Amino acid sequence: MRRTHTRHFIFALLISAILFTPAPAQKLNGHSTTPLNLTLPMKDGSVRFAVIGDTGSGTAQQRDVGDMMIKYHALFPFEFVLMMGDNMYGGEAPQDFEKKFAEPYRALLNDKVKFYATLGNHDQALQVNYENFNMNGKEYYRFKKGNIAFYSLNSNYMDKKQVQWLEDELGRETAAWKVMFFHHPPYSSAKKHGSDGQLREVVEPIFLKYGVDVVLTGHDHVYERMKPQKGIYYFVSGAGGKLRTGDIDRQSGITEKSYDRDLHFMLFEVAGDQMYFQAISRTGDTIDSGVINRR
Amino acid sequence: MKKRYIFIWLLVLALILASGVAVGQKTQNAALAEPVVVSPADKAAVDVFEKQVKGYIELRNKVRENAPKLSKDSTPEQIHAYRTTLENSIRSARSNAKRGEFFQPATADFIRRTLKLEFQGKDRQELREKIFETETQGVVLRVNYPYAQTAEFSEMPATLLTKLPQLPKELRYRFVGRNMLLVDRESDVIIDFMPDALP
Repeated sequence: MRRTHTRHFIFALLISAILFTPAPAQKLNGHSTTPLNLTLPMKDGSVRFAVIGDTGSGTAQQRDVGDMMIKYHALFPFEFVLMMGDNMYGGEAPQDFEKKFAEPYRALLNDKVKFYATLGNHDQALQVNYENFNMNGKEYYRFKKGNIAFYSLNSNYMDKKQVQWLEDELGRETAAWKVMFFHHPPYSSAKKHGSDGQLREVVEPIFLKYGVDVVLTGHDHVYERMKPQKGIYYFVSGAGGKLRTGDIDRQSGITEKSYDRDLHFMLFEVAGDQMYFQAISRTGDTIDSGVINRR
Repeated sequence: MKKRYIFIWLLVLALILASGVAVGQKTQNAALAEPVVVSPADKAAVDVFEKQVKGYIELRNKVRENAPKLSKDSTPEQIHAYRTTLENSIRSARSNAKRGEFFQPATADFIRRTLKLEFQGKDRQELREKIFETETQGVVLRVNYPYAQTAEFSEMPATLLTKLPQLPKELRYRFVGRNMLLVDRESDVIIDFMPDALP
């Protein structure tokens, strides 16, 4: 009788241990992380990419984001990464390229994931020639993946030639989706920099004229998804290596979703007329997700 | 009689539509608009500036031959070697360069007036403040010296760039505080600068 009781007790103990033990948490520099949780649909034939911005600090936090991207890459094998500028802070000697770029994303580079960079206000002009930034020696360029045309602009120096180039390219664009990526945000609720009004004055009429769908930027070290502005979806993804905690102005009236408590990266999946997105914190929390339907 | 009225109304309508289209085209492409009409004196000053720039590019193309070739798929080491050689070659070729060779008094006067006009209004005041916030510590304002590699670049307002004399791809305008610089894009050597250019 007593033996049966003991057996029951041990059995109950085991069941309790299984039920109440938390899911194995991953560790990043002593901070626990949540289990991976992919919200993207993983449709057949979809275009999959990631977005990071303001990465080049060479800090442990940047490496944490890189590690989390690598984990998500195993779940969601994205083909390429868009970089929103400030790819390297404070010097660009050969060892800086290693510490602030190659090393944090080594596993992705080894897996043949391509990085497409844009220039930020901390980036020197010769980055356009760096083999792993795929800029083809150009400060502004276009490339196409599936039914999406991506345009990288140099928002540090939006001169007449660049504006003319953009008009010409968009004028003959045939891709269904038109996605812009550059450093300075035309819309942002961050207190440090905020919306870049003079840049918006020049590029927004062009975006509207040619039906640009999505604009991805950085510069402010936060995450923000704007309410659609004149039908265009604007994102700020500028905390891939630096963070400005508490920088979002919650009263701006233009924010749909924001996050300024930790670093982050983004994942995108485009399938036909739907663009799915997921923003993920350094520790693996999903901070935003949703779908954009093409107009 | 009625037909004549209809004709006049149609004519008025057509004129309104045509003017609307014309205005639309102008505003849509504000960034591509021609620079503000300048006086003959200003035009002459801009011509002199552009001639200086052309001369610099010729010299630069010549000394660039010393630098190793740089492909679009370069390694960090190749980029570093190219930049260092280009910087040293430009600096030694212009060892006697002095401030004001490009921003001569008449050119500087034209640019100062352009900047003054551009930086009027509340939103432009904010832009001015943003330029001042740029972290340019470490930049030594000295002709023929490199812009500090660790310093940030101020964003050049797109609306202003359309009004300044256009530069070839090898050169850039930049602000450091109130000072305006002319900088070699790849080597970051300061070619000339104008103190207190911003109002």
